[in-house]
Amino acid sequence: MPHQIGVTIRAPVAAERVAELRQWLAEAGKKGLGEAPFGFAGCRGLHFARFYLLEETADLTGRPIPASLVFMSEVDAPLRRHLADLADVAKEGIDQAFQHCTGYPGPGGRRRQRIAWLRRHRVRASAFYVNTVGRGVAQIRQEAALREALESHLDRHDHTGRTATEVRRELQAFVAGHADLAWAAKPPARPSLFFRAREALHMVAVPALLLLALPVLLPVILVWAVLLRLDERHDRPFTQRPGLAHLEEVADYEDFSTQNPFAVAGLLRPGRLRQLTFRAVLFLTDYGVRHIFNHDSLAGVKTIHFARWVPLDGWRRMTFSSNYDGAVEAYNDDFINIIWWGLNATFSNGMDYPPTRWLFFGGAKLEEQFKNTIRCHQVAVPAWYAAYPELSADNIENNAQIRAGLRGEMSPAQAQQWLARL
Amino acid sequence: MGTKLDLDDIQGLIARGYRSLPYARFTIFAAHDAAAGHALLSWLLPRVTPAGRSAGDSALHLAYTAAGLRRLGLPESVIAGFSAQFMRGMTGPNRSRFLGDVGESDPHYWAWGGPQEPPVEGLILLYANSPEVLDARQAELATRLDGLAIRQVTVLDTLELGNNEPFGFRDGISQPIIQGLPKASGAPPAGTPGGRVVPAGEFVLGYPNAYGQLTSRPLLPAADDPRRLLPRDPAGSGAADLGRNGCYLVLRQLEQDVDAFWSYVRQATAQRDGSADTGRAIALAAKMVGRWPSGAPLVKAPDRDNPQLGGDNDFGYYRTDPLGLACPLGAHVRRMNPRDSLDPRPGTEASLAVNDGHRLLRRGRSYGPGDGTPAAAGRAGRDSHAERLVRADVAPPRATGLHFICLVASLIRQFEFVQHTWLNNPTFHGLYDDTDPLIGNRLGCGATFTEPARPVRRRYRGLPQFVRTRGGAYFFLPGISALRYLDQLSAGARSGSFPLIRDEVTT
Repeated sequence: MPHQIGVTIRAPVAAERVAELRQWLAEAGKKGLGEAPFGFAGCRGLHFARFYLLEETADLTGRPIPASLVFMSEVDAPLRRHLADLADVAKEGIDQAFQHCTGYPGPGGRRRQRIAWLRRHRVRASAFYVNTVGRGVAQIRQEAALREALESHLDRHDHTGRTATEVRRELQAFVAGHADLAWAAKPPARPSLFFRAREALHMVAVPALLLLALPVLLPVILVWAVLLRLDERHDRPFTQRPGLAHLEEVADYEDFSTQNPFAVAGLLRPGRLRQLTFRAVLFLTDYGVRHIFNHDSLAGVKTIHFARWVPLDGWRRMTFSSNYDGAVEAYNDDFINIIWWGLNATFSNGMDYPPTRWLFFGGAKLEEQFKNTIRCHQVAVPAWYAAYPELSADNIENNAQIRAGLRGEMSPAQAQQWLARL
Repeated sequence: MGTKLDLDDIQGLIARGYRSLPYARFTIFAAHDAAAGHALLSWLLPRVTPAGRSAGDSALHLAYTAAGLRRLGLPESVIAGFSAQFMRGMTGPNRSRFLGDVGESDPHYWAWGGPQEPPVEGLILLYANSPEVLDARQAELATRLDGLAIRQVTVLDTLELGNNEPFGFRDGISQPIIQGLPKASGAPPAGTPGGRVVPAGEFVLGYPNAYGQLTSRPLLPAADDPRRLLPRDPAGSGAADLGRNGCYLVLRQLEQDVDAFWSYVRQATAQRDGSADTGRAIALAAKMVGRWPSGAPLVKAPDRDNPQLGGDNDFGYYRTDPLGLACPLGAHVRRMNPRDSLDPRPGTEASLAVNDGHRLLRRGRSYGPGDGTPAAAGRAGRDSHAERLVRADVAPPRATGLHFICLVASLIRQFEFVQHTWLNNPTFHGLYDDTDPLIGNRLGCGATFTEPARPVRRRYRGLPQFVRTRGGAYFFLPGISALRYLDQLSAGARSGSFPLIRDEVTT
């Protein structure tokens, strides 16, 4: 199975075309991106895709930042194939979207030109979280179908009085007897050897280099911590509340299925100290999501499919976006109750964040201030595509475990535990 | 803990469910103009029952919608201090989708409170110890309303308060214990997994909530309260606190299709010859509810009803029943209050603490015709009402249900969260297509009920929808001093000296 990549494409929108684009996005989203003109359902390995508009704003010095259109996709590698699909399968929709942006070659442009333009407008994410690295769209769909088949089989037969081991054997035989389920008897393929070697090297090299640099880093960290704490003493409570119209605009595109798109954008705090802190925290976040939180949970939160942290406009701004299960209120509660420390370490380097202590404490624990910060900076995602919108991350993991349980020996207790997944 | 509640300022409904006042009627009104609204408030104010006073033979409570507060002249800048959900109300398309009020529960079909119905401004809740007292108080109220030409949008009658709700199950067993109320002093500091002592700020504004913080509420510059009618912001800002000692009140008319419910379980458990199997039918219904008709919890009485455990609330789920073999993961009571089964670290205090942030203080009352209902049927005979319903010995009542009321400090984190993330969520607790089997919405998905069992679960597909929303609104149940403040606005408005009345159109 391939590994997953997060593609971000962002391009400025001419001021006079923003209103038109806003309307177009709302209409495109209403029609859905799965079919024409986007045909995302036909793009290979595509898990999620979205478009959103970052409205014109100004940075902290008053320098204007023009409006821009952001496209994001979470897709199975390789990138080349995905860009080709955007240029071929999704051509019509991609053309319609990006022709609102300055300099797009347009529908008349040659394929190579259009792909080159998309490549040029790619923005690198500093960290990209994948719920389970290596689990591709095809595998997710196959395993969902496997579960359906097994559930239907169980529905058709009475198993009263039988042991769990007997029922498991029967299900194994059922799978073996269906050629279209033959794949389920084998474990899913792993990501490419190259990818695994690269990740293994990264996993070892980063701590090794940090260890080597420790004699230098340690005093730097101590000075940094003191400076940061001094800086935090200027923090003020966030007293703003999100406007009703803004909440309604965001809500227009939320809660249609099990999953939701989420996006926030905001300015980063000024000064080198915060810049350095933010970059360091994202560096560690990148390490964490690649090597520690790469299966089933982001530090205890099991409802996130994908997430990414993307610095924008020369690190003056950032956007965080994710695909998650449930409602934004529940999502925020998870942030507050489970990964408050991670939220604080990253988002407290942005403006309008509730006061923190020693980077990790306070902040998100100030419930209403935190929720207001998030809601005030939330960006509506009018056009969103999800390949399996009714499956929660929990469902997907359970499906994978159902498949895994078809193989090997199990004690009666293990067989019973496995059957409880169905 | 040192929470000291100002019981003389808190409306009594927060502290009591009025078991001793089993008769109740709820009047929803809309004043035609400001003066009438003010006159009504002045008349009602001395009749409102504070928590610190014993109710006697009757009790009265008063709550307003955002439109009602506007009618009384509360400026928009103050109303903006209420929560977004309160200001927006319950019936916008985004709220309806979120709350599951779609299909037959769509507000367009509601009997009251819907977008095509007259606007709702206020709610008067009357409780009495006898039907005669209730009728007398209601007659007095109706005369007053008529005299002021205030429209009674609807009057919601209720059934005599019994133990059972219309499906035939004992109801109202698990309630949070509010810190600072006498009941909390007898409980262990944090309570038990079932009877948790929850910070007062989860149900009364102006006190620390489950996060140890004060939930936002409308605060006014002290200068706008020159007579110091309002308490001051306990956070020390000096502002006058209009929200303190008040809370949000959710009212929803939930119509229960008792016939559909018992017909379904009867058919789903019928014997091969098609005849009903009463025992199995009740067992399936109990699995859907999570308690037996007597109220006995399935985690403690997994195989058969045990009326001795009828009021038992001292249990968790994670250690005794992590897979839902006794009480299904998707059962109604397990969704309404998952206790210790939530992340992070199920089975621990951390899990219970997360649960504390999503509790509802329920104050609902059943409604319907007096015959064939639990209260009437429960008085005679040996069989339980559920048994008679499943055998179809009694005709199931028509147009019956629950006037659901809950009191909360946060509409979104408490009521709306529970409704969306727990009740109507088809993937709750790792499930795939199961909404609440009793009260969930089934539109598009969620029509499955999974009953975990050994060796293999049983799945019930194509569950009908048994409950429909027929009306609803979000209210604010102010503290007594906040009512006094609103009353004084009316005095100012009458004399023309208080420039606070604004045209409704400004919204």
